Amino acid sequence: MVELACLLGTLAAYGVGLRLQGRTSSPLANPTLIAILVIGAVLELSGLDYGRYEDATDPIAFLLGPAVVALAVPLYVERATLLDHTRHLLLGVLAGASVAMALGALVAWLARFSDPFTLAVTTRTATSPVSIAIAEQLDGGAPALSAVLSISSGLFAATFGPSLLDRLGVRLPVARGLAMGVTGHGIGTARMLQESRLAGATSSVGMGLGGLTVALVVPGLWGL
Amino acid sequence: MLLAAALLYGFLRIGEGAASLTGAPLPGSVLGMVLLWGALEAGIVRLAWLQDGAGVLLGWLGLLFVPAGVGFVAFLDAGWVWGAALAVSAFGGLVTVGLVGLVVERGVRRG
Repeated sequence: MVELACLLGTLAAYGVGLRLQGRTSSPLANPTLIAILVIGAVLELSGLDYGRYEDATDPIAFLLGPAVVALAVPLYVERATLLDHTRHLLLGVLAGASVAMALGALVAWLARFSDPFTLAVTTRTATSPVSIAIAEQLDGGAPALSAVLSISSGLFAATFGPSLLDRLGVRLPVARGLAMGVTGHGIGTARMLQESRLAGATSSVGMGLGGLTVALVVPGLWGL
Repeated sequence: MLLAAALLYGFLRIGEGAASLTGAPLPGSVLGMVLLWGALEAGIVRLAWLQDGAGVLLGWLGLLFVPAGVGFVAFLDAGWVWGAALAVSAFGGLVTVGLVGLVVERGVRRG
């Protein structure tokens, strides 16, 4: 009974978020953000254990793997444009992922974060399946915390990224998409797929390559 | 639809197998994405088999992150560290979005 309520409640909260997004132009009306805050508040108020909620919503989380695989479709459809800009896209990913990791590690060091928090803020620019894998692999990592910080990066990017890019005069779908993919991963990609198929495809490129960069760099430097 | 679901799940499992066999630092789903892209390029898989199913699933992509995102409730006790980590995530995220956007925009326009 509680299990069914968790599942339906999550769908309902996301549905409310979608309606709000359709009705207002506020960037805060991101359906993923709204659903997470609503469900989080409900769990806190009702005292329902997160572990139980997590098990109950397994069917939703299960679809994440096939959905990431499905990103091959926009990549394939837009391949000609993507291959045209390979050099700029690679440069963008390397610049973005390096700065994101350096900033996280610097603040964690200055503020003397514990190991789980240090790792999580450093890997937050990788998509949650990647940051979880890194946290499981390294001593002192907390997979759930890493997942939450990756998702927070996605939410901040999806919420404030598009208007920032407008203000900076970044208009090309490949530039917008890559920026949102590197920083916002899946949630940023979901947002970019609403702008155009090309922006969504470039965002998946940013997500994949950004995650790869973090996965190659962080385990080697951890413990130094 | 059913064929698309079977293909996406199949490539996920192939990606997971490839990740554990090679010890690659990437999750199976990302490897599965790359392998499916390769299969489309090679003509082993046709776009028409996938297009509808993939479109539906990607239309709901934002929903799939909700269960893991709600996990933030487990860290509320961490206090100021929690706020500081979120601030890094927000500020660092804006810096990264702007930087990547400008690097690519300027690079592409210059050619």
